Amino acid sequence: MSVISVKNLKKYYQVYQKEPGFWGSIQALFLRKYYNIKAVDGISFEIPEGELVGFIGPNGAGKTTTLKVLSGLLYPTSGEVRVLGLKPFERQKQFQANISLIMGQKNQLWWDLPAWDSFILNKEIYEIDEGIFKKNVAKLSEMLGVEDILKIPVRKLSLGQRMKCELIVALLHSPKVLFLDEPTIGLDVVAQKNMRDFIKEYNEEFRATVILTSHYMGDVKELCKRVIIINEGEILYDGSLVSIVNKFAPYKVIKVDFEKEVDVEKLKEFGEIEKYSGNFVEVRIKKGEVFATATKLLSEFDVVDLNIEDPAIEDIVRDIFNAAK
Amino acid sequence: MKKYWEVFKITWQQLLIYRVNFALWRLRTILQLLLVYFIWWSVFQSQDKVFGYTTASILTYVLVAALMRAVVLSTRVTDMIDSINSGNIVNFLIKPLGFIRYYLTRDIADKLFNIGFYIAEVSLLILLLKPPIIIQTKLPVLIPFFIATLGGLVIYFCINFIVSLTAFWVENSWGPLFLMSVFLESLGGGLFPIDILPKPLFDILMLTPFPYLIYFPAKLYLGSMSYSEIISGFSIIFIWITVLVALMRVSINAGFRHFSAVGN
Repeated sequence: MSVISVKNLKKYYQVYQKEPGFWGSIQALFLRKYYNIKAVDGISFEIPEGELVGFIGPNGAGKTTTLKVLSGLLYPTSGEVRVLGLKPFERQKQFQANISLIMGQKNQLWWDLPAWDSFILNKEIYEIDEGIFKKNVAKLSEMLGVEDILKIPVRKLSLGQRMKCELIVALLHSPKVLFLDEPTIGLDVVAQKNMRDFIKEYNEEFRATVILTSHYMGDVKELCKRVIIINEGEILYDGSLVSIVNKFAPYKVIKVDFEKEVDVEKLKEFGEIEKYSGNFVEVRIKKGEVFATATKLLSEFDVVDLNIEDPAIEDIVRDIFNAAK
Repeated sequence: MKKYWEVFKITWQQLLIYRVNFALWRLRTILQLLLVYFIWWSVFQSQDKVFGYTTASILTYVLVAALMRAVVLSTRVTDMIDSINSGNIVNFLIKPLGFIRYYLTRDIADKLFNIGFYIAEVSLLILLLKPPIIIQTKLPVLIPFFIATLGGLVIYFCINFIVSLTAFWVENSWGPLFLMSVFLESLGGGLFPIDILPKPLFDILMLTPFPYLIYFPAKLYLGSMSYSEIISGFSIIFIWITVLVALMRVSINAGFRHFSAVGN
């Protein structure tokens, strides 16, 4: 059975324009210009237990809105949503006790107090057993390497340290379903890596179902076997990361280093040139023509090195978004 | 219940962290108290009775009004505004935690903290200035006084809650709150007992919720109210609580619905 099931979910916002400030709001009480935003426009997917799915899309694609609907914060305009067999918006205790939502730009830790105090508060809120609580804190803080900062006021921590503590506080009750919205936003490369490793480990160890949104392809590439690509509220692709290449990129990339500088005009007949710098060229070539092209290149020029590669996932995704515009 | 006890404790911890901030807040209330105290004290230098009040009754009124400030007017509900504006409110909505109960707990914690300081400060003041004050010992007076204080507390909680909830719709809820605090100080009886105002104005004011936050309980403490005044006072408290609690519930639902429709 699917842990998360979404059928034809739509979420439209009615937004109105208003002048800034309090008086603008008073004016807006009487005269409002409304327009509809289709944040999510008829998406469907199923996620089985223990899967780690990446949600990718540009800003405003509908990723966060979908997560908010799934975590019970937003009421869907239409469609059916079930998480752990329950309707999220009813916000039943049984539902709330088994999910967690982490937003990279929102914090739940008490700013002025050490993270430890927020942990204790969450322990009571989720009614976590003392023994389990201690075990979880120890385990999670060890996994993230933050044992020695838990007693420092949160406002004194670096962004990376704070995000790690945010993760711990959100995971203390061992949620079965975890929604991560841009968990690596603003983090440096090392911290991003740590965070990814942790998410992967958590997913494997607790068999938690995880949805992760990000606009860093790195996050998704490293963590998710399955990705859902969403743009302007619609799903463009739902499947394995590997088969994106087959589906959206019917071409390969040949990279060639030449002995001497080669005129760019002479290279144009081989395919679409992506990069060129005198004695280096990167050409896009249709899959069926790879062998012939490579042979021709080798026979016509003095080639030092030749590589045939799949296009980078980043480039494919960018193409998908560009094509959808 | 244990989770709210933890909310209570964390509120105190937070108050203790901002020592300077809290000290300044207490300093403000002490200065306010001294100011009102000495104004009235100097008024009574030349006469024994003003507006039907003796020195003892007016100074007692001032001290009890200060107690009402600590008990009724101290609040953490308005933190909700920042929480809504920043979007951090989502952290409550996804947790198994009662929204009203959470803020009520925070409020009670804040009040108890302030009452503690009030007792220390006023004891010191009484020791130093030795003012003539009325120590009320009659239970038939004290019981209505406690009930009225509780009523004022509920009224203030609801008003603050409703005004704070407007943050779901408007960007600046501090505006109406500031306006309200001006009303409270002057019309609620924080600066002077409002029965010194012209009778028609006083009668109208008594129909609003404001006098029941400070004036009415303080006046009850003095034991100088007629039965009919007391009965009509409690009736109006009851009506306001009924109206405000209903309005608060409606506002919460409307706020959540608005939030869930529009997001943040």
